[in-house]
Amino acid sequence: MTSNARGRNLAPWLLIIPSFALALFIIAYPLYNIVFQSVHEVSRFGIIKGFCGLDNFRLLFADPVFVASAWRTVWWTLGVVGGTVLVSVPVALILNQDFYGRGAARVIVMLPWSVSLTMTAIVWRWSFNDEYGMVNVTLQRLGLIQGPVHWLATAGTAFPVMILVGILVSVPFTVTIFLGGLSSVPTDIYEAARIDGAGAWYQFRKLTLPLLRPFINMAIVLNVIYVFNSFPIIWVMTQGGPSNGTHILVTYLYEKGFRLGKPGEAAAVSLFMLAVLFCFTLLYLKIQPKQGENA
Amino acid sequence: MRIERRKLRRSVICWLALAPLAVVVLFPFAVMFLTAVKPADEVFVYPAHWLPSTFRWANFADMWQAVKFGVALRNSLVVSVSATVLAIAVSIPAAYAMARYRFSGKGPYRQFLLVTQMLSPILLVIGLFRLAAMIHVGGGNMVDKHISVIVAYGAFNIAFAVWMMSSYFATIPPDLEESAWLEGCGRARAVLKVFLPLAVPAMVVTAIFTFINGWNEFAVVYTLIRSDANKTLTVQITDLVAGRYTVEWHQVMAATLLATLPVSVLFAWLQRYLVKGLALGAVK
Repeated sequence: MTSNARGRNLAPWLLIIPSFALALFIIAYPLYNIVFQSVHEVSRFGIIKGFCGLDNFRLLFADPVFVASAWRTVWWTLGVVGGTVLVSVPVALILNQDFYGRGAARVIVMLPWSVSLTMTAIVWRWSFNDEYGMVNVTLQRLGLIQGPVHWLATAGTAFPVMILVGILVSVPFTVTIFLGGLSSVPTDIYEAARIDGAGAWYQFRKLTLPLLRPFINMAIVLNVIYVFNSFPIIWVMTQGGPSNGTHILVTYLYEKGFRLGKPGEAAAVSLFMLAVLFCFTLLYLKIQPKQGENA
Repeated sequence: MRIERRKLRRSVICWLALAPLAVVVLFPFAVMFLTAVKPADEVFVYPAHWLPSTFRWANFADMWQAVKFGVALRNSLVVSVSATVLAIAVSIPAAYAMARYRFSGKGPYRQFLLVTQMLSPILLVIGLFRLAAMIHVGGGNMVDKHISVIVAYGAFNIAFAVWMMSSYFATIPPDLEESAWLEGCGRARAVLKVFLPLAVPAMVVTAIFTFINGWNEFAVVYTLIRSDANKTLTVQITDLVAGRYTVEWHQVMAATLLATLPVSVLFAWLQRYLVKGLALGAVK
């Protein structure tokens, strides 16, 4: 193997070049362009009118809708990621048991992953329709509500509903990661624990949870990134309305850039979001020094 | 016999615990199907009913015409298949490098891929649009062209494809190739003759998931594709709903069902490979 050591050193670099070049091409220019647009005054047709320094950012931070959307993004991300992990841990533990119909159960749990977020959002929007939606029909039939509830017509109910939809579509991916983690847990330590008389709750807290820890962290990081950037659910179900009451940063960005014709400000929102993601990643690497070395 | 009884009891408990989630997961599928086959005048009656009085299969034929489903279906296929081919073609060598070589670029490249995951299309959408508008080929620019969507999808799927394939490639024992070298086979030939045949399943599985990603993507097509003739299914169907006051829900549900079901079946069949592939890659 030492005979062509130089060739071996060069080979992996050559092998990663095509994918690296393609990814860089599709990311580098748009990124540069966003930085450029964010410090220029840009017309709705993309014509650069002139350098304006940080005016776009100043406009943003003066816009109460932006500030509200930013805070709502925090709740959105916390709600969806937190809910997802809370649901996924027990589901993964159950799916890791040996029981009749486990294959079918796994398929059912994974199913939301196969459906486009857009389609999921469309179906739920129809399901939450005031008069004709099946959610109200079912709740009324069960006697849980008296008249139709206007779920999506007020931000106070629309936003929690969309968080629940967000949780539903994030569970499959998260369960997948946890199942992978559980499959690497050696079963004999449980045998040993049982012989020592450890109860199920004790086993979960002292054995399963610590062993799942790296997988939970991984799932939280990836989900935070995905959920923070998640666009279709809110865009399709409420378009950020009613009266801007359910905007998160991505929907606000899209509306600014492509509906209200303010590409400069939209680019500034992009950069703000990138900065937030960047800080989050740094924070994660700080808290997780071991994980960082392995990655 | 005792053990069987215990397993049966455990099965009942497990299914009971999963029941609420299962109901919520299957709910939209039930809504899709039952709305899609309802006669139009039963969709908008108050109080509404779950079950239709008759199954009106003609809804699907009507929808096909009204939604221009065929055109959108072809566009979705073209875009997803091409993007998959592109992503897999550039990812195979990279995945091989990540699985088989120790080199100083490995860590940084891994980090780079993570960053590409973070820069989701929606964050870059403003810049992507300018990029497409800037590149001039022949008479016009790349806005409203499938090729721009294909290249973007291809690029954004690299991280996933490399991740999945390298974790599978790593499970193929390297001794097989090494013994082929010893028998006088060159490294490239050994890869071609010994490694590739064993790696095909991993590539196929990864390709199918990349295809599903492309099939389901929304933001890029929504931004880059302008004309109805070039729209994919996700955008075409969203246009029936977004910002409209009257929506033909039975047709919309028929369309979502047709667009969703084939992919869901494919996914259900292959999901167990995801558990392995992603988990292996996740904490490596």
